[in-house]
Amino acid sequence: MTNILETRGLTKRFGGLTAVDSVDFSVATGSITSLIGPNGAGKTTFFNTVTGLYTPTSGTIAFAGRSLVGLKPHEVTAAGIGRTFQNIRLFGNMTAVENVMVGMHSRMHANVLGILAHSARVQHEEATARAKAHALLDAVGLPAQRADDLSKNLPYGDQRRLEIARALATDPELLLLDEPTAGMNPQETAELTQLIRRIRDERAITILLIEHDMKLVMEISESITVLDRGAKIAAGLPHEIRSNEQVIEAYLGRGAASMAHAHARNGGEPT
Amino acid sequence: MQTRIRKSMIGAAFGFAIALISGGFAGILAGLVAGLINGYVVPEAEPLADKRRAIVQGLTVALVGSVLTILGIVLRNVVIDPIIGVPLNLIGVAIAAVGAVLLCVLVSVVMCVVRTEPPARERIGMAIVVGIILVTYPWLDQFLNLRFMNEVIPVLVFLLMALGLNIVVGYAGLLDLGYAAFFAIGAYAAAMVSSPHFGLSLSFWLAIWVAAAVAAIFGLILGSPTLPLRGDYLAIVTLGFGEIVPIAIKNLDNVSLSLWNYPLFVDVDLTGGTKGINPINRPWLPIIGEFSPSNPIPWYFLILGIMLISIFFISRLRNSRLGRAWTALREDELAAGAMGINTVNVKLLAFAIGATFSGLAGAFYGAYISAIFPESFRFDVSVMLLCMVILGGLGNMSGVILGGIIIQFADRLFLPQMSTVVQKLIVASGNESLRDINFASDFRLLLFGLTLVLMMVLRPQGLVPSNGSARVLPVAAGEARHD
Ligand SMILES: Nc1ncnc2c1ncn2[C@@H]1O[C@H](COP(=O)(O)OP(=O)(O)OP(=O)(O)O)[C@@H](O)[C@H]1O
Ligand SMILES: [Mg+2]
Repeated sequence: MTNILETRGLTKRFGGLTAVDSVDFSVATGSITSLIGPNGAGKTTFFNTVTGLYTPTSGTIAFAGRSLVGLKPHEVTAAGIGRTFQNIRLFGNMTAVENVMVGMHSRMHANVLGILAHSARVQHEEATARAKAHALLDAVGLPAQRADDLSKNLPYGDQRRLEIARALATDPELLLLDEPTAGMNPQETAELTQLIRRIRDERAITILLIEHDMKLVMEISESITVLDRGAKIAAGLPHEIRSNEQVIEAYLGRGAASMAHAHARNGGEPT
Repeated sequence: MQTRIRKSMIGAAFGFAIALISGGFAGILAGLVAGLINGYVVPEAEPLADKRRAIVQGLTVALVGSVLTILGIVLRNVVIDPIIGVPLNLIGVAIAAVGAVLLCVLVSVVMCVVRTEPPARERIGMAIVVGIILVTYPWLDQFLNLRFMNEVIPVLVFLLMALGLNIVVGYAGLLDLGYAAFFAIGAYAAAMVSSPHFGLSLSFWLAIWVAAAVAAIFGLILGSPTLPLRGDYLAIVTLGFGEIVPIAIKNLDNVSLSLWNYPLFVDVDLTGGTKGINPINRPWLPIIGEFSPSNPIPWYFLILGIMLISIFFISRLRNSRLGRAWTALREDELAAGAMGINTVNVKLLAFAIGATFSGLAGAFYGAYISAIFPESFRFDVSVMLLCMVILGGLGNMSGVILGGIIIQFADRLFLPQMSTVVQKLIVASGNESLRDINFASDFRLLLFGLTLVLMMVLRPQGLVPSNGSARVLPVAAGEARHD
């Protein structure tokens, strides 16, 4: 099996703090892989480094055989990595459909002249994009009558779903989800688990998931990697991780009540 | 109901103000304007489905507009005029009042009814109503002996610029305080190629494209150093550019350039320094001939045409891949990048396209007054434009137009006329010590500053916010989200 994403010695330092510490990490093509670890372990920083929001201090990132180091975020997206954010970052004053259409930006070609001339190609592209956006909203389970609501007025669960639709709109080969079920109730979480599986099965999109909900992680993942204080401490199948001494210690040794309840969130994306 | 009355005060205030400051038959125009604005603003706030209720709404709105307009007419023509020595003409007052009420009712009701139509037809209907008013205006102006035309044309020039600034500030969220620089650059570019200054004397119809292109290029040049900046920092740097450009223009009157001691040109007068460039070619068209300074009608239709075409193309941009990218950039730059938007390109396009419209406005303005001076493009022009954009509602073209009309009207008509009236009242009262106060020049900037501050504090989304949503200046909103 080939790996769609591979990092070697990936390191990100903020001043004296090593948020990601020489991480060797790989995601098998077509898999659902999870990245877990206690709060502040460096998971979000790992995502941000892979997607070009941060430049790595050292190390390599290979995506589908191509180096991502030094690429801008929009180039990483164009290369085929879509993502969501731990703290929802929708375009609040745009409607749900418009948010999804923004995701299609790098797959569309309309330029200024074409737009001003309203050429047949531009009109066709626009209509196709709109139809596709509605289809994506439907696919993630956002109610059709919500499509023209401003995204900031959507209920929380719908906002999370919309973020996934927007990421899917970038037409990714690899989808990075940063705590997609954060703040959701058990029923919404169950629906989202189904959705993630469907995305992989029906669209053949590889999924890399950051998640604190251990039930979900164990249920859905084919492979799990654990970070602690920036470093990779374990990687393997769910049952291997469940019984891994170092992992249990990383979670329990820090006074967290249990592996299943490691929670409380804050911070995440650079501002 | 409450909001309806409150909203209809916007148009009514206009009617009152026009009637008050201009006197005579301007009252008729005041009624027309009150009806038009109310017919636009009120259904915006409270959409109506059926025609009968729309008529009732139109009548309510017209009632408010008419009452205030008549109040203005009476106050001016019956109370103030006799004091300042204008003889009272009761028949004239009656005609003005009746005309005002008729037009106010007619326009309000028609607008309210049109606005119950489904969106596509509603737009066509409104375009027809507004179109009739705009096309007939010059003759109404002549017929009522209003003499507003020479003010209406610069108002349209500024509206065009406000629409361009709205792309930069409203759509893309880039707070640009030096936007008037592009007005200057466009005006000078056109003047250089379309005047005896360099002996080029191109036709206006070519020069205006040169102006647009040069302004766009300068949009890129002045935009690129600001790319990493946001919010307040961006504002400060663009403020600097806005100051530098007029100073540079003033000093480019004896330019010498040499390459390794080999002089390329010596003492070339690029811009005419403080004297400016004068005269500038006027447009020429078959049948009309050369546009003459004494007949404003061709100028009016020219700038109106430029503006309508601009609105048409700007709305195409707005509803496109690029327009969405601008909005995404404004909403969350980081997420926009992560969704595949090349934020650098998209910002530069906003600067360049925004500047283009200012360049067009500059080219027209230069030809219209047939002369330009560095003094015409001061910082207060940028501030006034920003006021126009913010007052009506960032990111919404009809809001920007409404806000722009209010600010421009206050600046060009209300304040000067008001100050003449006050002056005359002071003279009539015999109070010598107050004679030197000039409302128009003394309180102008204060008024803009006050408008900006009040709007940001009380109603940052503007009078007519887009989609009923709050679009707020990047600075007012706080820079990035920290949630
Ligand atoms: N831009 C930044 N500048 C400085 N330090 C940062 C920055 N981003 C993250 N950090 C620090 O890096 C460490 C890792 O943070 P990160 O957000 O990656 O953790 P996480 O594993 O995603 O945690 P959580 O589960 O709480 O989301 C933290 O100590 C954090 O404070
Ligand atoms: Mg995180």
